[in-house]
Amino acid sequence: MLAKQARSRTLHWLGRQLFNRDDPAGFFDPLLEPIKPMWVQGYTPARVEQIIQETPDTKTLVLQPSRRWPGFRAGQHVNICIDVGGIRRNRSFSLSSSPILWQEQGRATLTIKRLPGGRVTNWIHDDLQTGTVIGIGEAFGDFQIPEPAQPVLFIAGGSGITPVLSQLATMAATNYRAPVTLLYFVRTADDVIARETLQALAARYGALTLHIITTHETDAPRYLCDADLDAIPGIKARQVYLCGPKGLMDLARELLHQHGIADTDIHSTFFSVPQANLGNEALGGQVRLSGSGLDVGSEGDASLLDIAEAAGLSPRYGCRMGICHQCSCRKTAGTVINRLTGQASGPGEENIQLCISVPRGPVSIDI
Amino acid sequence: MKHMTETQLSELEKDLNAIRDEVIADLGERDAQHIRRMVRLHRMLEVGGRVMMPLGVIPPVFVAATATLGAAKILENMEIGHNVMHGQYDWMNDPGLHSQTYEWDTVCTGDSWRRTHNYEHHTYTNIIGKDRDYGYAVLRLSDDEPWKPWHALQFINYVLLSVFFQWGVGLHELETEKLRRREISWREKLPFLKEFARKGGRQAFKDYVFFPLVTFPVAPIVLAGNLGANLIRNLWSSTVIFCGHFTQGAETFSEEECEGESKGHWYLRQLSGSSNFTGGRWLHILSGHLSYQVEHHVFPDLPAHRYPEISGKVQAVCQKHGIHYNTGSFARQYGTVLKRILRHSLPERLGGGAATTA
Repeated sequence: MLAKQARSRTLHWLGRQLFNRDDPAGFFDPLLEPIKPMWVQGYTPARVEQIIQETPDTKTLVLQPSRRWPGFRAGQHVNICIDVGGIRRNRSFSLSSSPILWQEQGRATLTIKRLPGGRVTNWIHDDLQTGTVIGIGEAFGDFQIPEPAQPVLFIAGGSGITPVLSQLATMAATNYRAPVTLLYFVRTADDVIARETLQALAARYGALTLHIITTHETDAPRYLCDADLDAIPGIKARQVYLCGPKGLMDLARELLHQHGIADTDIHSTFFSVPQANLGNEALGGQVRLSGSGLDVGSEGDASLLDIAEAAGLSPRYGCRMGICHQCSCRKTAGTVINRLTGQASGPGEENIQLCISVPRGPVSIDI
Repeated sequence: MKHMTETQLSELEKDLNAIRDEVIADLGERDAQHIRRMVRLHRMLEVGGRVMMPLGVIPPVFVAATATLGAAKILENMEIGHNVMHGQYDWMNDPGLHSQTYEWDTVCTGDSWRRTHNYEHHTYTNIIGKDRDYGYAVLRLSDDEPWKPWHALQFINYVLLSVFFQWGVGLHELETEKLRRREISWREKLPFLKEFARKGGRQAFKDYVFFPLVTFPVAPIVLAGNLGANLIRNLWSSTVIFCGHFTQGAETFSEEECEGESKGHWYLRQLSGSSNFTGGRWLHILSGHLSYQVEHHVFPDLPAHRYPEISGKVQAVCQKHGIHYNTGSFARQYGTVLKRILRHSLPERLGGGAATTA
């Protein structure tokens, strides 16, 4: 009922007048959170229905998002938002289930590996209980399988398997009519995520060829090699999807080039933050934080978010890797370099993401 | 103000920074729980007050409803709004508790407050001529300000300011004294006035038009109750704020002595220009912990519920450096405020202003 009200423009206007906030329905959230957490309006809630231990350091969360969540396409990611130690943290994870599960049962899964020293992943592994309600954002990302069907090769490493799981489940359910091969690299046999799921998929979906390769069970590490690619029939005609640690992605790209596969046929999704080579152009500069009347200098490739925090400000932020746009703000003047792409911005007024923007020369931002 | 050498001031700075660093390192779940509990309580009080108000045809219910809504406004303005806008909870990364976007239940816009209070008042605290909060440009509270005949009736101004406090605070940035002196033009103030009209209109619409209208048969009761709730909040917040800087012994400063000052000197000024009052836990919460004005001025962006915990350490630092720590019961402190307003109604030679340094 509250959601319906929010949709009505007049009521929304009225709500803004009465509650002094742009999301008037969120006014009641502090009262709803303890009793009806799935009714909150300030964010999209999702209940953790089940937690599955996949490997010693990987868990799958089965979520039941609120019905107003718009859903997703296979291979996409979401931000989830949880409070750890009183601090609201946003992190991006890949959805590992097929969108069909969401459409039919209202469920979606995230498969999450414990990262050494990671505040959020460790909290999820050690403290998250079933029944807890967390926040879930809109899905994003364009790591998507070709339509109409074309031969596909997935090369995944470690927990990079998660978006591939979503895609394979979807392909199997829709009977995707083209050869599909998965080369899945893991350190040891214990590190295979969703082994049963993968084997079941391979058994019922004939187009899928599954190779699980352990890299660290022999004396010398066994990485991706020419022979792996040579063994794939019709590799030149395949659309290739990469998801895994940077070392694997770089190696795969190099070998694929040698096999004559063009960059346009190679698709990758983020796994670790790609860092563009920012070169030795003069980075840094005088930063004017016009909203707070501060002027600070910066050197090297410090991001505007780091610079603002060092100046004692606490701008809103989320993922700190250019994904969630929580830290977006107005740049009024100056040029910034996008840390992910290495691209320079225009000199004028525009919205930028603080966490991936590095000043080049004097910059003014509106915080 | 006590004179201290730069070496002593940097020692003072170090001592106070140590207290601050300890709290910062300990921020977490407990602080988040405190502010969330306050927000939840505010929602309960506001919903409760609004629901009870139409039943105010029964006199005791009218009193309860008005008091409940008044308490809701006090809690939201003092313990939540004021403190959130200081950035005390920015580290929580909760968009609903973010200093730069929070908007509170009073006429003054959040943006105007962030400029006049967070920046001007907290930077230039008690510097006559720079801190426009010192007397709010309507009261003469220090002999450093020349006496004018209209100051003789300033107690009436004080009462009016308290009664209409939210409108006074809302219009503070208009800088009427500068308009009168023609230092600035009305045209320059147009954007501010637009914002003021929007927010003031919104507040008046809510309390004096919308809620009375939707409860039409008992509209006069609801209107009266809402007026009463705003009045309670106005009187209480102005009283708390006056006790923070205008008590006996709360010092004022000249622009010259603060020019190019060090952080240590700024700390010293905050310690000697502010005053506390004592009381129970709920008195502190309802004053937004401005009953610990000294601690608040030294550490404006630490979560306010921490002030009682660090007060002992701040007092020890004051003692070590021989700085007066100004505190007393609420009644005593407020008494000296009233005396100060009355005494400075008269010129120095008549008002006995020479009796104290204030």
